[in-house]
Amino acid sequence: MIALSDYLILGAILFSISVTGIYLNRKNVIILLMSIELMLLSVNLNFIAFSYYLNDLAGQVFVFFILTVAAAESAIGLAIIIVLFRRRHTINIEDLDSLKG
Amino acid sequence: MPEWILYLLDFLPDWDWLHVLLIALIKVVAIFIPLVVAVAYLPYAERKIIGYMQIRIGPNRVGPRGWLQPIADALKLILKEIIVPTKSNKYLFILAPILAMGPAIAVWSVIPFTDTLVLADINAGLLFVLAVSSIGVYGIIIAGWASNSKYAFLSAMRASAQIVSYELAMGFALVTVLMAAGSLNLREIVLAQSGGLTNWYLWPLFPMFMVYFISGVAETNRAPFDVAEGESEIVAGFHVEYSGMTFAVFFLAEYANMILIATLTSLMFLGGWMSPFGAASDIIILGDGIHWLLLKTSFLLFFFLWFRATFPRYRYDQIMRLGWKVFLPLTIFWIVFMGVMMFLTPWGYLFH
Amino acid sequence: MTFEQLVFYFLASVAVIAAGLVITVRNPVRAALFLILTFFTVAVIWLLLEAEFLAIVLVLVYVGAVMVLFLFVVMMLDIDTDQLREGFAEYLPIGATVAVIILLQLVIVFSFGPFDLEQMPAPAAAAVDYSNTHQLGLLLYTYYVYPFELAAVLLLLAMVAAIALSLRGRLSAKRQRPDAQVRVRKEDRLRIVKMNAEKQD
Repeated sequence: MIALSDYLILGAILFSISVTGIYLNRKNVIILLMSIELMLLSVNLNFIAFSYYLNDLAGQVFVFFILTVAAAESAIGLAIIIVLFRRRHTINIEDLDSLKG
Repeated sequence: MPEWILYLLDFLPDWDWLHVLLIALIKVVAIFIPLVVAVAYLPYAERKIIGYMQIRIGPNRVGPRGWLQPIADALKLILKEIIVPTKSNKYLFILAPILAMGPAIAVWSVIPFTDTLVLADINAGLLFVLAVSSIGVYGIIIAGWASNSKYAFLSAMRASAQIVSYELAMGFALVTVLMAAGSLNLREIVLAQSGGLTNWYLWPLFPMFMVYFISGVAETNRAPFDVAEGESEIVAGFHVEYSGMTFAVFFLAEYANMILIATLTSLMFLGGWMSPFGAASDIIILGDGIHWLLLKTSFLLFFFLWFRATFPRYRYDQIMRLGWKVFLPLTIFWIVFMGVMMFLTPWGYLFH
Repeated sequence: MTFEQLVFYFLASVAVIAAGLVITVRNPVRAALFLILTFFTVAVIWLLLEAEFLAIVLVLVYVGAVMVLFLFVVMMLDIDTDQLREGFAEYLPIGATVAVIILLQLVIVFSFGPFDLEQMPAPAAAAVDYSNTHQLGLLLYTYYVYPFELAAVLLLLAMVAAIALSLRGRLSAKRQRPDAQVRVRKEDRLRIVKMNAEKQD
């Protein structure tokens, strides 16, 4: 049998990988968005694991809403990236400094 | 399951999961081989039918009446060299045809052929079909991108945008079916249509049947929606750079998808294996059975070929307009209409 | 080792390797493809946890739609990847350190917390006719109906926002007007001119 801690540790590994991804690819907005998706995925894995072991469907309902919000977030995020690229011809975060005081 | 297979299984080590795996494997092969034969002979049927529609004979040289043409074609494609373009992405280039073929076959695991003849009778069968068939688009995107060719890339963008758009209309059309049947299980959806021709969902959901089938034609990139391949515009679409067996796999995937769409349409709207005369018939051939499913599927497949022989190609913006501005609003309206009819008026029985 | 454990450890290792490649590969298209692989394997892990509906929805929504969008954007934008990877090695030590610290903390908590099989045993396998979709639907449409509606509004908002952001009105585009084409009559297009025959010399 697989213990709950196995699932939780898998979630933790995925989470820390995505944290590293945010550090490593701090100039590429698209990879940053992907890292955030990965982070949400690991959180969802935890929710579903707890929902299974505690026999409570509320965890799955929560995952449902997280999926909804994450889909909306990535759609808008990508739209912003497209607009950004049209205006500035780059998606490098370093170059987005026009609000610098 | 025949006796002798179980007898053979007794000799194997006593691992439960191995037994389960082996039995599943045998069932998979039993579904897969007829499917491959059908996929091989569908292009032959297509060439013959379109030939006769254009007052030609079609392939008639290899074997009697050209019956061996598919085998000759297969041999030719197997023996041809696979050319990998320079500066292409080799792994992805080889992976793409597999990704196109895989989902087209994986979906068959939940398709019920008769009441009992189904590999995996899962509760969320309809969702599974939608999910797995939505993966097929990656084969096309990756093929176009990995080929390192403008034409292939353009076509991959066209094809994937088209597939993603029409998937929505297809999904919503299926929502009406599951509203009527009250179940996501494909077997139960068919069983809900039992009792003869008049009980098929074709009648109460006729607009949705049209939307689903036309979207299915668009989804498989078939004429008249075959701008992704448009020989006269972008040479051959996303598989320009493919040759030999890699091309053959794309080709087979397209035909496997056609058969899949036809089968799903007959399951959802034409009562699957249900006989149009009702189950009470005394003559065995007129009763329920897999032959009805095959007949309905072949009938719908004929439409695919007929469309190709008849209609000129749509322009790309017209395809997108049809998907987003005609089909999608129509399906959403129909869902609302059906919901109101079923729960707020006494005419709800029409949809059951 | 049971079959389930075998499946779990295989899928978990694939998911972890793919996730690692997402953040390290040079080409964003490949990163997106590895992210798809991660989503897919995690969806199968969810199947092990008897969350069929969400597993299929994850494949349908993420693999089938959101990642296609990602791939579209990555492929269509002409990105200079080398420039974007500046400072990759520079931030590697600090990133790795932070990640390892987080990971260690979480693993210690999970290993010594009440999460092993003795204190939290796996529930019995669900009945054959148990439908995860049905149960989730019952919960969503009764107890969580207002959040559900809110999520629907949120999705609509996101759709409108994404279209409004990226729509570029093209005035130069030529459009076909089928209604006008159908309604056209001979008189609109054709003018018959009566004129006397002229002699050519």
